[in-house]
Amino acid sequence: MNLALFFQQVVNGLAIGSVYAIFALGYTLIFSILGIINFAHSAIFTLGAYFTYALMGARFGFNGLLAQTALPFGLPFPLAVLGGGLLAGGMGVLVERAAFRPLRNRGADPLLMLVSSLGVAVALVNIIQYLVGAEAYSYPNALAGLPPSINLGVGGVPLIMRTVLVVIFIISMLILFALMRLMNHTKAGKALQAVAEDPVTASLLGINTDRLILLTFFISGFLGGIAGTLVGLSVTITGPYFGITFGLRGLAVLVLGGLGSIPGAVVGGLAIGIVEALVPPDLSGYKDAVAFAILLIVLFFRPQGLLGRTFIQKV
Amino acid sequence: MDSFFNQYGFLIVSMTFSALLALSLYLPLMAGQLSLASPAFYAIGGYIAAVLSTQIFPVESGAPFPLERLLLEMLIAAAVSGVLALLVGLPALRLRGVYLALATIALVEIVRVLSLNLEITGKAIGIFGIPQPFATKLDYLWISGVLLLVSAFFVYRLEHSRMGRAFAALREDELAAGAMGINPTTTKLLAFVLGAMLAGVVGAVSAHFLNTWNARQGTFDASILILAYVIIGGSRTFLGPIAGGLLLTALPEVLRALAGVPGLPPLAVSFLQDGRLIIYGVLIVLSTLFFPQGLITPALLRRWNRKGRA
Amino acid sequence: MRLIRVVISSLVVAILLSASFALAQDVQPIKIGVAVAQTSNVALFGQEQVIGAKIAEAYFNEKGGVNGRPIQLVFQDTAGDEAGAINAFQTLIADTVVGIVGPTLSQQAFAADPMAEQAGVPVLAPSNTAKGIPEVGNFIARVSAPVAVVAPNAVRAALNLDPNIKDVVVFYAQNDAFASSETTTFQSTVTNLGLNLASVQTFQTTDTDFSAQITNALALNPQLVIVSGLAADGGNLIRQLREFGYTGVIVGGNGLNTANVFPVCQQFCDGIIIAQAYSPAAESEINQTFRELYKAEQGKEPPQFSAQAFSAVQVFVEALIRLDNITKLDTLDLATQRNLLNLSVLAGGYETPLGMLSFTPTGEIVQEQFYVAQIKMNADGQTGTFEYIQ
Repeated sequence: MNLALFFQQVVNGLAIGSVYAIFALGYTLIFSILGIINFAHSAIFTLGAYFTYALMGARFGFNGLLAQTALPFGLPFPLAVLGGGLLAGGMGVLVERAAFRPLRNRGADPLLMLVSSLGVAVALVNIIQYLVGAEAYSYPNALAGLPPSINLGVGGVPLIMRTVLVVIFIISMLILFALMRLMNHTKAGKALQAVAEDPVTASLLGINTDRLILLTFFISGFLGGIAGTLVGLSVTITGPYFGITFGLRGLAVLVLGGLGSIPGAVVGGLAIGIVEALVPPDLSGYKDAVAFAILLIVLFFRPQGLLGRTFIQKV
Repeated sequence: MDSFFNQYGFLIVSMTFSALLALSLYLPLMAGQLSLASPAFYAIGGYIAAVLSTQIFPVESGAPFPLERLLLEMLIAAAVSGVLALLVGLPALRLRGVYLALATIALVEIVRVLSLNLEITGKAIGIFGIPQPFATKLDYLWISGVLLLVSAFFVYRLEHSRMGRAFAALREDELAAGAMGINPTTTKLLAFVLGAMLAGVVGAVSAHFLNTWNARQGTFDASILILAYVIIGGSRTFLGPIAGGLLLTALPEVLRALAGVPGLPPLAVSFLQDGRLIIYGVLIVLSTLFFPQGLITPALLRRWNRKGRA
Repeated sequence: MRLIRVVISSLVVAILLSASFALAQDVQPIKIGVAVAQTSNVALFGQEQVIGAKIAEAYFNEKGGVNGRPIQLVFQDTAGDEAGAINAFQTLIADTVVGIVGPTLSQQAFAADPMAEQAGVPVLAPSNTAKGIPEVGNFIARVSAPVAVVAPNAVRAALNLDPNIKDVVVFYAQNDAFASSETTTFQSTVTNLGLNLASVQTFQTTDTDFSAQITNALALNPQLVIVSGLAADGGNLIRQLREFGYTGVIVGGNGLNTANVFPVCQQFCDGIIIAQAYSPAAESEINQTFRELYKAEQGKEPPQFSAQAFSAVQVFVEALIRLDNITKLDTLDLATQRNLLNLSVLAGGYETPLGMLSFTPTGEIVQEQFYVAQIKMNADGQTGTFEYIQ
């Protein structure tokens, strides 16, 4: 592999990795607060992409209950992304209310929440199919006016990037930046971190955990919805099962970065994106296993993840 | 009645397979290990049977597959799965809680990707035309039913044995169990290996049962589904996973049959057909809300016992 | 407990009541089963198959059904897995259908077809293209041509378009049974035509980003890229190829022969050469009728999956009519009906939207015509047409 090609792959990997990162952050936030994995996250990712599509005023296809319907208005893409993210965040809140809170209030086994979030995921995916069918949807003229690719190369060595990936990378970085600001410079963010560290002490300090958990689910849903839209922008929404592979990759990122660690999720996402991009062509069939092979190796040698703190099991 | 068994023979046997897989996940869970590796060993067991029966000792097409060879395949599947589980288990069982779960998910995905890539597993198309030991699907109950009874009895005995109490002690508190003179590593490893062997055996029979085997068997989806069997059925007694496996496998087909009830309004029929899985998902959520301990709990069993005696 | 008893007993009453209503009807339609994936991640195909089959049901009933007796399609969802396909088949077999159209995937067929074989129920596979499907049994036949015959024409068409093609890169979706068998045909065609097979790249149907493979491929400067995949992943791959600046010829496999690729690769779909087992442009009367019916309902050109499902139902209907002309169907018991229907299916020739069809004694399709088309996208970048080139 020559050097130019290598750089090209690294840059590609960074762009994909940045989406892995914001997606996995959705898992991470919830894990850091509740110690559970929210399996409905990939369904929310999918929903977010569909919300954005609907908000752009685009028409649904020929199957499902909503066949041939469209909203009476259409937002431009940047607003629709934001709207899609907000709606997905709202969905996250709904999921929390319906499937997590009742269990939490009874002090149920965390495993139970895992299963109930799985039930939510199955229901959501199938509701999507029931409403809008299984066909692929793409955002109409989302990036109209931009060239399909940009040459970032210097000195006659071409380094071609798909414009979409550049846009995705920029949006992901903006979102990460905003999230960091939120976590480190606002009261809510600091409270979130306090709860993640130690829920009991936090509630003694008068931090309202229930509201913070709602906020966490909102942010997590927002991040998932945005990630869904960004992937949809890059490749179209391929159907109700659109989020499944991402759901799995996200788990690998979650562990790699250290469960519950926010910078860890970012580093983990970027790392997996880059390593996947560097898989040699003859072995590309094994690409899906790369993230998990790394995950196993990391777990065996550094069970707390790359940037995680040592994990003390809560009994 | 005959037509009922003709139609539902496959389903009945599928239900027993699910119950067995649920037990295979329940075994490590008894010792406090959340392992989702069952589908990986299930897939491997299936490939062993598929390869052996189509390539190593094929029968003439149409001739029934000798039962003793099926038993041999099951043995080989158990042995291979067991050895593999030993190798994977040693490093993996140092991990706890969700970490172990995620490591086992990784194992499942790696097995899936390998079988998509390897020549011997038939790549994407898989292996087909696997010979049949029985004339009908229902006859598989001779294997799966017996297997279920034997495994259930075994786990029941295990729950009440010294080893079973060691499992339970580990599940409650690993540090304390260590202090009580229980060797956590060997105990956990035993539970993990037993679960893997059971899953491998089920895979071997399933390959014949489904006529075909491919990389779409034994995936992450299956991991989660099997976990749902255990949690919804109840994870504190061996009857829970069995009940969960039987019920959750029957449920989509019961919904299908409901759609066929004549006289239903067309909207209800179309929802039961196309929205079957929506109902399935919602029922999973509801059951966790209403039966947080699972459908079958030790307390429930005690109540039944008392009633039975009274 | 009380409540449960009330619910159960009212259910039982409801069932009994409605059963007696059902008995009161006089002309019983002939039931044909359709077991395709209406849910799961292959629902995209199942959905198209359902549409095609329903159009056939309405059309042939309009024409008088089977000598005056209407047909009734019974749909059972197989979902995407093997067990689902078996369950759907078992339900249909018990539901006294005379034949089954389905399932959607070849892997499902290997699991479910033996059940129909054992029960003596004829099966017409609408979309199973893997090697070995008709060989599963006497009752199994297919209207979907195996891939080996469709692919080579498209490569020759590409050479006509650009005679300077020398270096070829082939992509295929490795986790898709159809794509991975189609690619072997493409690869051998490339070498047989004396071209240089510069690289073979794999991807997964679940992949969303192909930058790595594309970068590797484009480093070899190919003049022709061949893609075997399905609509979503194949379409994406093509879109990303163009975004990376590839300007040469692209050939898409049969999996891309659907209008579903249009929203995926949008304006970048323009000019792709597609190997087709079905062309909406085929001039036969039955195809134009089907095309009009489909367009009236769905507003776009019919995809291959719909045409194949339509053709499968048509084959059953025409075989039933031929059988009924010899021996009245209602004089036969169900097992004999199924048995004779199977013989009748295999014996006939059918003028379908796919062209002239007949079957070998094992049930393999003999399809007389295959097509090559080139995609022409409209200015909106969301819709387009397959322009017939040969």
